[in-house]
Amino acid sequence: MPLLTSARSVRVAAQYAAAASCIVTALLTACASQPATREATPDNITAHLGAVHSAPTLTPGHYALVVFGMSCPKCISNVDLQLGRIAGIVNPKVDMKHGIVTIEVPGPAEPSRDAIFRAILDAGFTLREIRTLSAAGRTQ
Amino acid sequence: MKQLHMLALCGFIATAHLTGSTATAQEMLSMPAATSPSPNVLIPRVQARAYFYEERQSLLEQDLRLEYGIVRDLSISLDLPMYEGFFEAPRASDGDFGLGDLEAIIELRILREDFGAVDTLRGAIFAGAELPTGTNGFGSNGVDPCLGGVLTGIFGRHGFDAAARWTFVTDESPFLPTLASTTSADFANLDLGYAFRFYPESYGEERVPAWYATLELNSLWTTSGEYDVLLSPGVLLEAPTYAVEIGLQIPISSQVDDAPELRIAALIGLRLIF
Repeated sequence: MPLLTSARSVRVAAQYAAAASCIVTALLTACASQPATREATPDNITAHLGAVHSAPTLTPGHYALVVFGMSCPKCISNVDLQLGRIAGIVNPKVDMKHGIVTIEVPGPAEPSRDAIFRAILDAGFTLREIRTLSAAGRTQ
Repeated sequence: MKQLHMLALCGFIATAHLTGSTATAQEMLSMPAATSPSPNVLIPRVQARAYFYEERQSLLEQDLRLEYGIVRDLSISLDLPMYEGFFEAPRASDGDFGLGDLEAIIELRILREDFGAVDTLRGAIFAGAELPTGTNGFGSNGVDPCLGGVLTGIFGRHGFDAAARWTFVTDESPFLPTLASTTSADFANLDLGYAFRFYPESYGEERVPAWYATLELNSLWTTSGEYDVLLSPGVLLEAPTYAVEIGLQIPISSQVDDAPELRIAALIGLRLIF
């Protein structure tokens, strides 16, 4: 009897799995046929930003962090928390639409580029690059 | 009933005092998600559920879950349910209150692909055990190991989750509310979820809360042939500092032996972020 009920259970499970896979396939197909989401436009995200910052530390100024994967409002809190643990970074502002976090480095502490990459990874996201918005004495 | 309310209140107060952190990204209401807290971050989640069975029998559940980030992509979670049952004999009868089995799970994120500002695909595997902390018939005497995996994808306004979990029952399972019982058979949980962000249509620079409509297919299958499949619609409100979830669970197919059949369940949940 247990074998029979197990077999029935497996049969019903298989039927539901098949139905569920059809639903998921339909949903994924529907999503794939949609135009690119307004938020997910990596090619034009950085077009209006300044040059890529590749120096090992960030000197005083304003910077834009291009961050991918911030998919919900609570991501903002995660980013705030992790960046807040780095000395020398103040006033982070998150633009979820474009995936850009602007930060200010007032000095004299100069946070390292690696520390920022690690912080964004710890927050659960991917830091694609750091762009300079304005540095002390010049504006882009 | 007072005990349940007091413990619920204690849960909320403990939540408020223990946290100094953030919570993970959008999660379905009744299934795992491949989200993970950051290192040294504690995430609390409190859910209350009411199960209504045939013949006016019912069960109230209060669930407190704490999730802690150990290192990047590795977290541990503790989940303690509390029950108050209004069943006819031979189950815990009118007004009997009890703790459920404590669940301890370690989760390792093995996949994280961020495709765009919002789009992401994440996967995690997890393993743990149900510990015999239950009282008054709401738990078991054995340690029941479990393992599983979960995949979460978010593409623009659409979110998908798929999860599978197997529990090895060594003596008797933890109390399973949808079966209104425990079982001595191993069992599997298979879940699918879909979330649609209906507000805002597009994120901006403002910190506005997001509203999601969610739909899940939650199922439980035992090796002794019992099963239940639930359709679970819900609404999730998620802000940078809190999240509120409200939902229903409606049985669409079940085979339950010697237990009252579930008619419907309702849940409300809260996550606080400080």
